[in-house]
Amino acid sequence: MRRGRSWLLAAVLGAGAAFTVGAAQAVLAQGPAAATQDWKKEFEEICAKTQDAMALPMDELKGLVSRCDKLKPRIEKLDESQRKVYSRRLQVCRDLYQFVIESREKG
Amino acid sequence: MAVPLRIAVLVVLLAPVASRGMEVVPAHRYGLVQFGNRAAAAKVPPVSFDHWSHRARFTCRLCHVDVGFAMTAGQTGISASTNRSGYHCGACHNGKTVLGGKPVFASCSAGVDVDESPSCRRCHEKRDPEKARRDYEALAEKFPRKGQARAVDWEEAEAKGLVRPIDFVEGVSIRRAPLKMDKEISIESSGWMTDVLFSHRKHSVWNGCEVCHPEIYPSTKSGTKKTSMIGISSGESCGVCHTKVAFPIADCERCHVKPVR
Repeated sequence: MRRGRSWLLAAVLGAGAAFTVGAAQAVLAQGPAAATQDWKKEFEEICAKTQDAMALPMDELKGLVSRCDKLKPRIEKLDESQRKVYSRRLQVCRDLYQFVIESREKG
Repeated sequence: MAVPLRIAVLVVLLAPVASRGMEVVPAHRYGLVQFGNRAAAAKVPPVSFDHWSHRARFTCRLCHVDVGFAMTAGQTGISASTNRSGYHCGACHNGKTVLGGKPVFASCSAGVDVDESPSCRRCHEKRDPEKARRDYEALAEKFPRKGQARAVDWEEAEAKGLVRPIDFVEGVSIRRAPLKMDKEISIESSGWMTDVLFSHRKHSVWNGCEVCHPEIYPSTKSGTKKTSMIGISSGESCGVCHTKVAFPIADCERCHVKPVR
């Protein structure tokens, strides 16, 4: 009986270890791809709100400008073609949010 | 009646600037730009791009915001490499994007001799003005025309549903709610012309917000912005588009629509 339990425990632990190693390998395998697309997800989230810019509260607009500034150095590290396009697109997006902030402040 | 000397001098000095913006350019030549910054180094002819050939199909915003074409010449950094990577022209001209049931031809294919390949010469070729005129007329016959140049009236064509400009390209554009912008602005004319009624709604159909703000129209305190016809003729303010691509300022009555006060 006791010996049977030990076997069962060993099997459970073994399966758990195998699952953990497999999962870690899977995460590592998709890691670089996930990291490269991470900037794009952030870019799309930030710039998806340009159509609504006039209706957004000031805090949110300032938050979006701040997120643009944080994302900029990551985009500058991309390959030349991506950098050219997305640096410009991010700048256009940031400038619009900043424009709305300044327009409200000036009245 | 004697004209004061300083006014006469002013008129003489400003006449060339004003007349530049008032020039009536034939419709098939209006909006022509050349992409040639890198062409000589790459030993290829520059690309002659007619805005009208794309205007029937796409919004200005799609190309100038999503695809990333700058509004100022030489600022985009377009190259064969960016096209091949699926950016700039390559965002649509990739051999995969389907438009009107047909794939759009690929731009700047690697390893192709530009002198030999007909596909390169679709863009990299010296422009034939007569062919451009014929192509324009073939396109324009389906649409209403207006103004001194009898150019396509894109605004009416859009309003009548004759054109439905695409504003989204899969893999390039971001899905967003449609823009709701109905604010109209009355701009007082200080000269002899009637006031201008500026429609945000009409402009936002093609441009969204980002094409104009803040690059062309930066933030200002309400009511303090002064726009002059001299500035517009020189390519400032409305003149960024309305001296190059959108209907020309010589069609005065298309903006100065409000009755005299």
